Amino acid sequence: MKVLSIIIKDLKIVLSDKQAIIITMLMPLILMTILSMALKGSFMDSDDGGIEKIPVALVKQYDEGADSKIFIKTLEKRLNIDISRDEVNPEEMFFGDFLGNEEVSKLIDYRVVEEDRAMELLNEGEISAIIILPEKYIYDMKINLLTPFRNNVDVKVLTHPGRALAGEIVTSLMEAYTNTMSSVIIGKNVLIESASANDMGGDGFDNIDEIMEGMTDLVAGMKVNINNVTVEGRRTIKSSEYYAVAMMTMFVLYAAGQGGRMLLEEKDNQTYQRMVVADISKPHILTGKFIVIFLIAAIQITIMLAYSHFALKVNWGNIKSLLVLSTASAFSVAGLGIFIGSLTYRAENYRLANAFESVIIQVMAFLGGSFFPLDLMPEIIRKVSFISLNGVGLKAYLKIILGYGFSDILINVSILAIAGILFTLAGVIIFNKEVSKNA
Amino acid sequence: MLKVENLYKNFGNIAAVAGISFEVKRGEVFGLLGPNGAGKSTTISIISTLLPPSRGQIFFEGESIFENSRNLRQKLGIVPQDIALYPTLTGYENLRFWGNLYGLKGAELKKRINEVAEIIGLKERLKDKVEKYSGGMKRRLNIGAALLHKPDLLIMDEPTVGIDPQSRSHILETVLKLNAQGMTIIYTTHYMEEAEELCSRICIMDEGKIIASGTKQELVELVKERTRINIKLDNISDNMPQVFKEITGVLDAAILDDTVTLFGENGDILLAEIISKVLEEKSKIQSIDIHKPDLEAVFLHLTGKALRD
Repeated sequence: MKVLSIIIKDLKIVLSDKQAIIITMLMPLILMTILSMALKGSFMDSDDGGIEKIPVALVKQYDEGADSKIFIKTLEKRLNIDISRDEVNPEEMFFGDFLGNEEVSKLIDYRVVEEDRAMELLNEGEISAIIILPEKYIYDMKINLLTPFRNNVDVKVLTHPGRALAGEIVTSLMEAYTNTMSSVIIGKNVLIESASANDMGGDGFDNIDEIMEGMTDLVAGMKVNINNVTVEGRRTIKSSEYYAVAMMTMFVLYAAGQGGRMLLEEKDNQTYQRMVVADISKPHILTGKFIVIFLIAAIQITIMLAYSHFALKVNWGNIKSLLVLSTASAFSVAGLGIFIGSLTYRAENYRLANAFESVIIQVMAFLGGSFFPLDLMPEIIRKVSFISLNGVGLKAYLKIILGYGFSDILINVSILAIAGILFTLAGVIIFNKEVSKNA
Repeated sequence: MLKVENLYKNFGNIAAVAGISFEVKRGEVFGLLGPNGAGKSTTISIISTLLPPSRGQIFFEGESIFENSRNLRQKLGIVPQDIALYPTLTGYENLRFWGNLYGLKGAELKKRINEVAEIIGLKERLKDKVEKYSGGMKRRLNIGAALLHKPDLLIMDEPTVGIDPQSRSHILETVLKLNAQGMTIIYTTHYMEEAEELCSRICIMDEGKIIASGTKQELVELVKERTRINIKLDNISDNMPQVFKEITGVLDAAILDDTVTLFGENGDILLAEIISKVLEEKSKIQSIDIHKPDLEAVFLHLTGKALRD
């Protein structure tokens, strides 16, 4: 009953604080709306929740006819080989086998244009990337595929700075293509060296185009590694979904900052002392504060879930998983709030709580991916992201949205729960030390 | 009812309370009178179980409050020197919260809130947020929050500091009414007039010690020959008390704000010489009051300084 009175009183105080309401409740709604709209291009947004094709321009700097003629002449002159029945076609391999590949064609919508036009389209945002096949591309590729020689082929990919994720995908696809081609070329060299070693003479080269044709089937059937595009074969995350989660997991931390001030505020107002005289035990006071912070976080989460669902059309997935994860998130925030509150009470000033809100939350938000998707972050940041509570929550919420089961978020839920327990225990120890010293 | 024995409280090397002993009897208004920093609030904090003493013992109804604080806490109402309320809640919400903490609920709580609102004269303003109250109204609500559970012992720590005369008068009347209803009250103040008006017995504290105690009459007996003369001047120099002490018959002199307070054995006769000294010092007299012996005189007599220095 007494704890309940403390909870009701604190909730009334918090909910009557307009500035706190703006920061903890309204600001995240505004930000998630703005960011999901503004950064739509950085995500694979589409209405059906599937993958929207990335518009790409292809620039051919080579002359296919001229390259082929030079190649035949070079072979006749240097190797004395007649390659008139040359059936290896690098252009067909790239456009037909690679870009025509079932998986790749789902991702990329390309058009072949001149270089100047391609640059214009990129600047205007009409396309997300340009793939430039260099001069003598056909010649160099034929040399690589049909002779013992290896020429360097530099395929360039230019990406739109505002569409980082789309650019990443195109780059990733091109890397997959060039890796596959490198494998084919290495295989060819091994074949030629084996033929020479076994004294097969010209017979080995007579069938090389047939062998190469068989090997290039690899390209047609290649499985492109696109894990950074779709999460293990599931649909992509939309910007509205990402930033609904990102802002929610970030702003819920403000409940801990707000709660972190409560104990010292009670002391400064003399109401803490009055409660002690009214025979309210310290565990009662701490329990009350813990539940208040938990409820504030829970209210924040509920409002943000509801807003993003109805206003931004975010489909939050499995309700039970969502409920468990949200409870664990609010629990960890409450623990963190008690920890900060006890330290603030002990320090007898609000510097720590202020620093938590103005610096620590921002750092945690950055590391946890609330500002930018972690996939776009350097490796080192991805590695340390686990230290931020919002990062742990963010990953789990995204998994729920993508349709993962509860077992897939169990580790995240456990981390949040354990963090909540540890923070609470630390807070209780610090608070009791201080109380035994002063009261 | 409450017995304080040889109480000490040190903060580092500073002795805030230095070996005080006194007893509060059931049904009385017991005054702790002294200037700021005398150790009154520290004493109150120890009695309220908010601070542990460095040494000493306190018994409430015969039982040590350090061994069993529950009995005292249930029967104690505390009115802290600062306003211990929630400014963004209404007066009613504040009273309901503190009533809840004392185990009151439902119709009983509602009834007590109404009764207390009547006592503190805030019935019409309970729906307003406390932050909109005047200083005096906040002080009255601060008292009200301590009355909800009908405490046997009410401790009031400087409850009239910084408020308007009307609210002050209301608070003093309230204290007398509560005492008339049987409530025992410990009242700390540095206002001599309040202690004189309210308290049946008074302890005068200075620098952590009790320098005198007794009823007002007993204390005034200590300086019964003395007359207090307050001279309000438009220009006071620091050496003014010394100048007045040179007059034969002036026993003590001290400055408080723009007033010099003198104590002499026969005020009427001293007056002419005092005026002459003021003129010599090229100052102008704005007013002169002559008082019969009082607690101010006692304090000056015992400590050599004015009560509100």
